[in-house]
Amino acid sequence: MNLSSSIPTYPSTSSLPEVLPPLLMRPASAFPLEALTDAYNQTRIDYIIPMPMNVTRLREYIHNYDVALEHSAVALADDQILGLALLGIRPPRTWITRLGVLPVKRRRGTGQELMEYLITRSQDLQAQQIILEVIKNNTPAHTLFRKLGFEEIRELLVVRRPPRAALPSAPPYSARFLPSETALSLLQQRRSCPSWLDEFPSLCHAGNMKGLEVHLESGEWGWAVFQQTSFQLGRLVLQAETRDEEAVVRALLHALHTAHPHHDTTYENLPAADPYWPFMQEAGYLLSFTRIEMQLSLK
Amino acid sequence: MVEVMQTVLLIEDNRYDAQLISTLFKRLPECRVLYAADAETGLTLAMSESPDLILLDLGLPDMDGQTVASILKDMPASAHIPLIAVTAWPPATARDMAEAYGCDGYISKPFNANAFLAEIKRFLKQDNTASVETLL
Repeated sequence: MNLSSSIPTYPSTSSLPEVLPPLLMRPASAFPLEALTDAYNQTRIDYIIPMPMNVTRLREYIHNYDVALEHSAVALADDQILGLALLGIRPPRTWITRLGVLPVKRRRGTGQELMEYLITRSQDLQAQQIILEVIKNNTPAHTLFRKLGFEEIRELLVVRRPPRAALPSAPPYSARFLPSETALSLLQQRRSCPSWLDEFPSLCHAGNMKGLEVHLESGEWGWAVFQQTSFQLGRLVLQAETRDEEAVVRALLHALHTAHPHHDTTYENLPAADPYWPFMQEAGYLLSFTRIEMQLSLK
Repeated sequence: MVEVMQTVLLIEDNRYDAQLISTLFKRLPECRVLYAADAETGLTLAMSESPDLILLDLGLPDMDGQTVASILKDMPASAHIPLIAVTAWPPATARDMAEAYGCDGYISKPFNANAFLAEIKRFLKQDNTASVETLL
Protein backbone atom coordinates (compact mmCIF):
# COMPACT_ATOMS: atom_id res chain seq x y z
CA MET A 1 0.00 0.00 0.00
CA ASN A 2 1.23 3.36 -0.86
CA LEU A 3 1.15 5.17 2.46
CA SER A 4 1.22 8.62 1.00
CA SER A 5 -1.92 7.99 -1.04
CA SER A 6 -3.87 7.04 2.08
CA ILE A 7 -3.08 10.19 3.99
CA PRO A 8 -5.85 12.71 3.56
CA THR A 9 -4.64 16.07 2.45
CA TYR A 10 -6.07 19.41 3.44
CA PRO A 11 -5.65 22.70 1.73
CA SER A 12 -3.15 24.96 3.38
CA THR A 13 -4.43 28.17 4.90
CA SER A 14 -2.83 30.16 2.13
CA SER A 15 -4.75 28.28 -0.54
CA LEU A 16 -8.16 28.70 1.08
CA PRO A 17 -10.40 30.76 -1.15
CA GLU A 18 -10.56 34.39 -0.16
CA VAL A 19 -13.98 35.45 1.10
CA LEU A 20 -14.95 38.19 -1.29
CA PRO A 21 -17.54 40.85 -0.63
CA PRO A 22 -20.58 40.59 -2.90
CA LEU A 23 -20.31 42.24 -6.28
CA LEU A 24 -22.94 44.85 -7.05
CA MET A 25 -23.81 46.41 -10.40
CA ARG A 26 -24.93 50.01 -10.54
CA PRO A 27 -25.87 52.14 -13.57
CA ALA A 28 -22.98 54.39 -14.53
CA SER A 29 -25.40 57.33 -14.49
CA ALA A 30 -25.35 57.10 -10.68
CA PHE A 31 -21.74 58.36 -10.67
CA PRO A 32 -20.30 61.76 -11.53
CA LEU A 33 -18.18 61.87 -14.69
CA GLU A 34 -15.12 62.65 -12.57
CA ALA A 35 -15.50 59.34 -10.71
CA LEU A 36 -16.07 57.42 -13.95
CA THR A 37 -13.05 59.04 -15.56
CA ASP A 38 -10.84 58.25 -12.60
CA ALA A 39 -12.07 54.65 -12.45
CA TYR A 40 -11.62 54.19 -16.19
CA ASN A 41 -8.04 55.52 -16.06
CA GLN A 42 -7.27 53.19 -13.16
CA THR A 43 -8.52 50.21 -15.16
CA ARG A 44 -6.17 51.09 -18.03
CA ILE A 45 -3.08 51.86 -16.04
CA ASP A 46 -1.29 48.68 -17.14
CA TYR A 47 -3.15 48.19 -20.41
CA ILE A 48 -1.38 47.32 -23.67
CA ILE A 49 -2.40 50.72 -25.05
CA PRO A 50 -3.36 52.84 -21.99
CA MET A 51 -5.57 55.46 -23.75
CA PRO A 52 -6.30 57.60 -20.67
CA MET A 53 -9.10 60.19 -20.75
CA ASN A 54 -10.03 63.32 -18.90
CA VAL A 55 -13.58 64.40 -18.12
CA THR A 56 -13.85 66.44 -21.32
CA ARG A 57 -12.75 63.52 -23.46
CA LEU A 58 -15.11 61.12 -21.69
CA ARG A 59 -18.00 63.54 -22.15
CA GLU A 60 -17.22 63.77 -25.87
CA TYR A 61 -16.94 59.99 -26.09
CA ILE A 62 -20.37 59.55 -24.49
CA HIS A 63 -21.87 62.14 -26.83
CA ASN A 64 -20.16 61.03 -30.05
CA TYR A 65 -20.86 57.35 -29.68
CA ASP A 66 -24.38 57.42 -28.20
CA VAL A 67 -23.27 55.91 -24.93
CA ALA A 68 -26.19 55.60 -22.50
CA LEU A 69 -24.83 55.87 -18.96
CA GLU A 70 -28.16 54.70 -17.54
CA HIS A 71 -27.60 51.38 -19.30
CA SER A 72 -23.85 51.24 -18.67
CA ALA A 73 -22.47 49.52 -15.60
CA VAL A 74 -20.15 50.11 -12.68
CA ALA A 75 -19.13 47.09 -10.59
CA LEU A 76 -18.81 47.73 -6.87
CA ALA A 77 -17.78 45.78 -3.80
CA ASP A 78 -17.65 47.30 -0.34
CA ASP A 79 -18.52 50.65 -1.96
CA GLN A 80 -15.32 50.52 -4.01
CA ILE A 81 -15.40 50.66 -7.80
CA LEU A 82 -13.88 47.47 -9.22
CA GLY A 83 -14.56 48.11 -12.87
CA LEU A 84 -16.88 49.56 -15.45
CA ALA A 85 -18.22 49.06 -18.95
CA LEU A 86 -20.11 51.44 -21.21
CA LEU A 87 -23.00 50.68 -23.56
CA GLY A 88 -23.67 52.57 -26.78
CA ILE A 89 -27.16 52.27 -28.26
CA ARG A 90 -28.12 52.59 -31.92
CA PRO A 91 -31.20 50.44 -32.41
CA PRO A 92 -31.32 47.62 -33.27
CA ARG A 93 -27.68 47.34 -32.12
CA THR A 94 -25.72 48.05 -28.99
CA TRP A 95 -21.98 48.52 -28.58
CA ILE A 96 -19.94 47.54 -25.55
CA THR A 97 -16.91 49.73 -24.96
CA ARG A 98 -14.34 50.78 -22.37
CA LEU A 99 -14.70 47.59 -20.37
CA GLY A 100 -12.08 47.58 -17.67
CA VAL A 101 -11.32 46.19 -14.23
CA LEU A 102 -8.87 47.72 -11.79
CA PRO A 103 -5.62 45.72 -11.87
CA VAL A 104 -5.74 44.77 -8.17
CA LYS A 105 -9.33 43.58 -8.50
CA ARG A 106 -8.90 41.23 -11.45
CA ARG A 107 -9.30 37.45 -11.60
CA ARG A 108 -12.53 37.38 -9.62
CA GLY A 109 -14.97 37.41 -12.53
CA THR A 110 -15.79 41.12 -12.48
CA GLY A 111 -15.20 41.51 -16.23
CA GLN A 112 -17.55 38.63 -17.00
CA GLU A 113 -20.23 39.98 -14.67
CA LEU A 114 -20.01 43.39 -16.30
CA MET A 115 -20.34 41.80 -19.72
CA GLU A 116 -23.29 39.65 -18.66
CA TYR A 117 -24.99 42.73 -17.20
CA LEU A 118 -24.62 44.63 -20.50
CA ILE A 119 -25.76 41.64 -22.55
CA THR A 120 -28.89 41.46 -20.40
CA ARG A 121 -29.43 45.21 -20.77
CA SER A 122 -29.09 44.83 -24.54
CA GLN A 123 -31.70 42.05 -24.50
CA ASP A 124 -34.00 44.26 -22.42
CA LEU A 125 -33.53 46.98 -25.04
CA GLN A 126 -34.49 44.43 -27.70
CA ALA A 127 -31.19 44.80 -29.50
CA GLN A 128 -30.58 42.27 -32.24
CA GLN A 129 -26.81 42.52 -32.22
CA ILE A 130 -24.06 43.59 -29.83
CA ILE A 131 -20.80 44.90 -31.27
CA LEU A 132 -17.48 45.38 -29.53
CA GLU A 133 -13.79 45.73 -30.33
CA VAL A 134 -10.85 44.15 -28.60
CA ILE A 135 -7.21 45.00 -29.08
CA LYS A 136 -5.41 42.22 -30.90
CA ASN A 137 -3.27 40.20 -28.49
CA ASN A 138 -5.39 41.16 -25.48
CA THR A 139 -5.89 37.45 -24.95
CA PRO A 140 -7.79 37.54 -21.60
CA ALA A 141 -10.46 39.88 -22.99
CA HIS A 142 -10.65 38.12 -26.35
CA THR A 143 -11.07 34.76 -24.60
CA LEU A 144 -13.81 36.15 -22.37
CA PHE A 145 -15.75 37.55 -25.32
CA ARG A 146 -15.54 34.26 -27.22
CA LYS A 147 -16.68 32.42 -24.10
CA LEU A 148 -19.75 34.68 -24.00
CA GLY A 149 -20.57 33.83 -27.61
CA PHE A 150 -19.04 36.74 -29.50
CA GLU A 151 -17.66 36.01 -32.96
CA GLU A 152 -14.97 37.82 -34.94
CA ILE A 153 -16.15 40.04 -37.79
CA ARG A 154 -12.92 41.64 -39.08
CA GLU A 155 -9.71 43.37 -38.12
CA LEU A 156 -9.61 47.14 -37.70
CA LEU A 157 -6.48 49.27 -37.84
CA VAL A 158 -5.66 52.27 -35.71
CA VAL A 159 -3.36 54.36 -37.87
CA ARG A 160 -1.83 57.80 -37.85
CA ARG A 161 0.30 60.04 -39.99
CA PRO A 162 2.84 62.47 -38.53
CA PRO A 163 2.93 66.02 -39.88
CA ARG A 164 5.18 66.59 -42.86
CA ALA A 165 5.56 62.90 -43.67
CA ALA A 166 6.77 62.51 -47.23
CA LEU A 167 4.03 62.45 -49.84
CA PRO A 168 4.35 60.54 -53.09
CA SER A 169 3.63 62.41 -56.26
CA ALA A 170 0.04 62.61 -57.45
CA PRO A 171 -1.41 63.07 -60.90
CA PRO A 172 -2.39 66.65 -61.80
CA TYR A 173 -5.64 67.54 -60.07
CA SER A 174 -7.84 70.39 -58.98
CA ALA A 175 -9.07 70.42 -55.39
CA ARG A 176 -11.94 72.14 -53.65
CA PHE A 177 -12.56 72.11 -49.90
CA LEU A 178 -16.16 71.81 -48.81
CA PRO A 179 -18.06 73.03 -45.75
CA SER A 180 -19.44 70.76 -43.07
CA GLU A 181 -22.97 70.50 -44.44
CA THR A 182 -21.75 69.41 -47.88
CA ALA A 183 -19.27 67.02 -46.29
CA LEU A 184 -21.96 65.28 -44.28
CA SER A 185 -24.17 64.97 -47.33
CA LEU A 186 -21.31 63.22 -49.16
CA LEU A 187 -21.32 60.58 -46.44
CA GLN A 188 -24.75 59.46 -47.61
CA GLN A 189 -22.96 58.04 -50.66
CA ARG A 190 -20.31 56.18 -48.67
CA ARG A 191 -19.71 52.64 -49.90
CA SER A 192 -17.36 51.42 -47.16
CA CYS A 193 -18.70 49.73 -44.06
CA PRO A 194 -17.44 51.77 -41.08
CA SER A 195 -17.05 50.66 -37.51
CA TRP A 196 -19.19 52.18 -34.76
CA LEU A 197 -16.62 54.95 -34.29
CA ASP A 198 -17.00 56.19 -37.85
CA GLU A 199 -20.66 55.56 -38.53
CA PHE A 200 -22.71 58.52 -39.72
CA PRO A 201 -24.07 59.42 -36.25
CA SER A 202 -20.52 59.40 -34.81
CA LEU A 203 -19.25 61.79 -37.47
CA CYS A 204 -22.29 64.06 -37.10
CA HIS A 205 -21.88 64.21 -33.32
CA ALA A 206 -18.11 64.74 -33.51
CA GLY A 207 -18.43 68.06 -35.35
CA ASN A 208 -15.77 70.05 -37.20
CA MET A 209 -16.24 67.89 -40.27
CA LYS A 210 -14.93 69.17 -43.59
CA GLY A 211 -15.01 67.88 -47.13
CA LEU A 212 -12.64 67.77 -50.06
CA GLU A 213 -13.33 67.05 -53.70
CA VAL A 214 -10.63 66.41 -56.30
CA HIS A 215 -10.93 66.18 -60.06
CA LEU A 216 -8.21 64.77 -62.27
CA GLU A 217 -7.51 66.07 -65.75
CA SER A 218 -8.87 62.79 -67.07
CA GLY A 219 -12.24 63.71 -65.57
CA GLU A 220 -12.03 61.15 -62.79
CA TRP A 221 -12.91 62.38 -59.35
CA GLY A 222 -13.38 61.52 -55.71
CA TRP A 223 -14.06 63.01 -52.31
CA ALA A 224 -12.84 62.91 -48.75
CA VAL A 225 -14.55 63.79 -45.50
CA PHE A 226 -12.49 64.47 -42.40
CA GLN A 227 -12.56 66.11 -39.02
CA GLN A 228 -10.30 69.10 -38.50
CA THR A 229 -9.38 70.38 -35.05
CA SER A 230 -6.59 72.74 -34.00
CA PHE A 231 -3.79 70.21 -34.25
CA GLN A 232 -5.34 67.08 -35.70
CA LEU A 233 -7.09 65.69 -38.74
CA GLY A 234 -9.11 62.55 -38.19
CA ARG A 235 -12.13 60.42 -39.02
CA LEU A 236 -11.00 60.29 -42.64
CA VAL A 237 -13.38 58.86 -45.22
CA LEU A 238 -12.01 58.50 -48.75
CA GLN A 239 -13.97 57.55 -51.81
CA ALA A 240 -13.06 57.45 -55.49
CA GLU A 241 -16.05 57.74 -57.78
CA THR A 242 -14.31 56.40 -60.86
CA ARG A 243 -12.43 53.34 -62.00
CA ASP A 244 -8.89 54.61 -61.47
CA GLU A 245 -9.22 54.60 -57.71
CA GLU A 246 -5.47 54.64 -57.11
CA ALA A 247 -4.91 57.95 -58.93
CA VAL A 248 -7.91 59.60 -57.29
CA VAL A 249 -7.02 58.47 -53.77
CA ARG A 250 -3.41 59.60 -54.24
CA ALA A 251 -4.70 62.99 -55.34
CA LEU A 252 -7.07 63.19 -52.35
CA LEU A 253 -4.30 62.41 -49.88
CA HIS A 254 -1.91 64.78 -51.61
CA ALA A 255 -4.43 67.62 -51.54
CA LEU A 256 -5.42 66.99 -47.92
CA HIS A 257 -1.92 66.84 -46.50
CA THR A 258 -0.49 69.59 -48.67
CA ALA A 259 -3.21 71.89 -47.35
CA HIS A 260 -2.62 70.82 -43.73
CA PRO A 261 1.12 70.11 -43.43
CA HIS A 262 1.28 70.82 -39.69
CA HIS A 263 -1.61 68.61 -38.64
CA ASP A 264 -1.15 65.23 -37.03
CA THR A 265 -3.60 62.75 -38.56
CA THR A 266 -5.29 59.93 -36.70
CA TYR A 267 -7.67 57.29 -37.95
CA GLU A 268 -9.24 54.74 -35.64
CA ASN A 269 -10.74 51.52 -36.95
CA LEU A 270 -9.84 51.51 -40.60
CA PRO A 271 -10.90 48.07 -41.87
CA ALA A 272 -7.71 46.08 -42.50
CA ALA A 273 -9.11 45.03 -45.86
CA ASP A 274 -9.74 48.64 -46.95
CA PRO A 275 -8.49 48.86 -50.54
CA TYR A 276 -7.12 52.37 -49.91
CA TRP A 277 -4.86 51.37 -47.00
CA PRO A 278 -1.83 50.68 -49.27
CA PHE A 279 -2.11 54.20 -50.73
CA MET A 280 -2.42 55.65 -47.25
CA GLN A 281 0.77 53.84 -46.23
CA GLU A 282 2.54 55.36 -49.23
CA ALA A 283 1.36 58.75 -47.98
CA GLY A 284 3.04 58.23 -44.61
CA TYR A 285 0.34 56.55 -42.52
CA LEU A 286 1.66 54.17 -39.87
CA LEU A 287 -0.02 51.34 -38.05
CA SER A 288 -0.32 51.96 -34.30
CA PHE A 289 -2.18 48.80 -33.35
CA THR A 290 -4.92 46.45 -34.48
CA ARG A 291 -8.35 45.76 -33.04
CA ILE A 292 -10.68 42.85 -33.69
CA GLU A 293 -14.33 43.70 -34.21
CA MET A 294 -16.68 41.11 -32.74
CA GLN A 295 -20.42 40.62 -32.66
CA LEU A 296 -23.00 38.68 -30.68
CA SER A 297 -26.28 37.98 -32.41
CA LEU A 298 -29.33 38.25 -30.13
CA LYS A 299 -31.89 37.30 -32.78
CA MET B 1 34.06 69.46 -14.21
CA VAL B 2 31.66 72.34 -14.25
CA GLU B 3 28.12 71.17 -13.61
CA VAL B 4 25.30 73.17 -15.04
CA MET B 5 21.85 72.78 -13.53
CA GLN B 6 19.56 71.41 -16.17
CA THR B 7 15.80 71.43 -16.33
CA VAL B 8 13.89 68.33 -17.31
CA LEU B 9 10.20 68.52 -18.13
CA LEU B 10 8.27 65.34 -17.44
CA ILE B 11 4.84 65.13 -19.13
CA GLU B 12 3.23 62.04 -17.61
CA ASP B 13 -0.33 61.47 -16.43
CA ASN B 14 0.33 58.21 -14.59
CA ARG B 15 1.07 59.36 -11.06
CA TYR B 16 2.90 56.15 -10.15
CA ASP B 17 5.22 56.39 -13.11
CA ALA B 18 5.71 60.10 -12.45
CA GLN B 19 6.64 59.36 -8.86
CA LEU B 20 9.04 56.61 -9.90
CA ILE B 21 10.73 58.83 -12.47
CA SER B 22 11.00 61.69 -9.98
CA THR B 23 12.64 59.32 -7.52
CA LEU B 24 15.15 58.21 -10.15
CA PHE B 25 16.03 61.81 -10.92
CA LYS B 26 17.17 62.24 -7.33
CA ARG B 27 20.26 60.35 -8.49
CA LEU B 28 20.97 63.20 -10.88
CA PRO B 29 21.35 66.21 -8.56
CA GLU B 30 22.22 68.44 -11.49
CA CYS B 31 18.65 68.08 -12.73
CA ARG B 32 15.59 70.08 -11.78
CA VAL B 33 12.40 68.21 -12.73
CA LEU B 34 9.22 70.00 -13.75
CA TYR B 35 6.10 67.91 -13.82
CA ALA B 36 3.00 68.15 -15.99
CA ALA B 37 0.14 65.66 -15.72
CA ASP B 38 -1.47 66.59 -19.02
CA ALA B 39 -0.60 67.87 -22.47
CA GLU B 40 -1.88 71.39 -21.99
CA THR B 41 0.23 71.97 -18.88
CA GLY B 42 3.18 70.28 -20.55
CA LEU B 43 3.03 72.48 -23.63
CA THR B 44 2.69 75.60 -21.47
CA LEU B 45 5.73 74.65 -19.37
CA ALA B 46 7.73 73.72 -22.46
CA MET B 47 7.19 77.23 -23.83
CA SER B 48 7.65 79.15 -20.58
CA GLU B 49 10.53 77.23 -18.99
CA SER B 50 12.62 76.22 -22.02
CA PRO B 51 13.69 72.91 -20.48
CA ASP B 52 16.87 71.15 -21.51
CA LEU B 53 15.11 67.83 -22.00
CA ILE B 54 11.49 66.71 -22.29
CA LEU B 55 10.19 63.28 -21.33
CA LEU B 56 6.81 62.70 -22.93
CA ASP B 57 4.36 59.93 -22.18
CA LEU B 58 2.62 59.03 -25.45
CA GLY B 59 -0.67 58.23 -23.68
CA LEU B 60 -2.10 61.43 -22.20
CA PRO B 61 -5.66 62.15 -21.10
CA ASP B 62 -6.28 65.37 -23.02
CA MET B 63 -4.29 64.94 -26.24
CA ASP B 64 -2.42 62.13 -27.95
CA GLY B 65 1.26 62.15 -27.03
CA GLN B 66 2.19 61.98 -30.70
CA THR B 67 0.28 65.17 -31.35
CA VAL B 68 2.08 66.82 -28.44
CA ALA B 69 5.40 65.67 -29.93
CA SER B 70 4.50 67.12 -33.31
CA ILE B 71 3.56 70.46 -31.73
CA LEU B 72 6.78 70.58 -29.72
CA LYS B 73 8.86 69.83 -32.80
CA ASP B 74 6.90 72.36 -34.84
CA MET B 75 7.30 75.32 -32.49
CA PRO B 76 10.54 77.30 -32.91
CA ALA B 77 10.76 77.74 -29.13
CA SER B 78 10.84 74.00 -28.46
CA ALA B 79 11.93 72.34 -31.72
CA HIS B 80 15.56 72.14 -30.60
CA ILE B 81 14.82 70.57 -27.18
CA PRO B 82 15.69 66.86 -27.02
CA LEU B 83 12.46 64.90 -26.70
CA ILE B 84 12.22 61.37 -25.34
CA ALA B 85 9.02 59.39 -25.72
CA VAL B 86 8.06 57.29 -22.71
CA THR B 87 5.52 54.62 -23.48
CA ALA B 88 4.07 51.28 -22.53
CA TRP B 89 3.58 50.39 -26.18
CA PRO B 90 5.38 47.35 -27.58
CA PRO B 91 9.02 48.40 -28.18
CA ALA B 92 8.90 48.09 -31.97
CA THR B 93 5.80 50.32 -32.17
CA ALA B 94 7.28 52.74 -29.65
CA ARG B 95 10.46 53.03 -31.69
CA ASP B 96 8.59 53.57 -34.96
CA MET B 97 6.25 56.16 -33.46
CA ALA B 98 9.05 58.00 -31.68
CA GLU B 99 11.08 58.18 -34.86
CA ALA B 100 8.15 59.20 -37.05
CA TYR B 101 7.18 62.00 -34.68
CA GLY B 102 10.66 63.47 -34.44
CA CYS B 103 11.50 62.23 -30.95
CA ASP B 104 15.19 61.97 -30.20
CA GLY B 105 14.79 58.76 -28.23
CA TYR B 106 12.28 56.51 -26.53
CA ILE B 107 12.00 54.60 -23.27
CA SER B 108 9.67 51.61 -23.00
CA LYS B 109 7.70 50.96 -19.83
CA PRO B 110 8.28 49.13 -17.61
CA PHE B 111 11.83 50.42 -17.60
CA ASN B 112 15.01 49.40 -15.94
CA ALA B 113 16.31 52.15 -13.64
CA ASN B 114 19.89 52.00 -14.87
CA ALA B 115 18.91 51.91 -18.53
CA PHE B 116 16.53 54.80 -17.92
CA LEU B 117 19.22 56.94 -16.32
CA ALA B 118 21.73 56.03 -19.02
CA GLU B 119 19.31 57.21 -21.70
CA ILE B 120 18.70 60.46 -19.83
CA LYS B 121 22.41 61.09 -19.34
CA ARG B 122 22.98 60.58 -23.04
CA PHE B 123 21.06 63.78 -23.67
CA LEU B 124 22.10 65.70 -20.58
CA LYS B 125 25.77 65.04 -21.22
CA GLN B 126 25.54 66.59 -24.66
CA ASP B 127 23.89 69.64 -23.19
CA ASN B 128 26.43 69.83 -20.34
CA THR B 129 29.31 69.70 -22.76
CA ALA B 130 27.80 72.42 -24.86
CA SER B 131 27.18 74.58 -21.81
CA VAL B 132 30.70 74.15 -20.47
CA GLU B 133 32.21 74.98 -23.82
CA THR B 134 30.09 78.07 -23.95
CA LEU B 135 31.30 79.08 -20.49
CA LEU B 136 34.93 78.62 -21.48
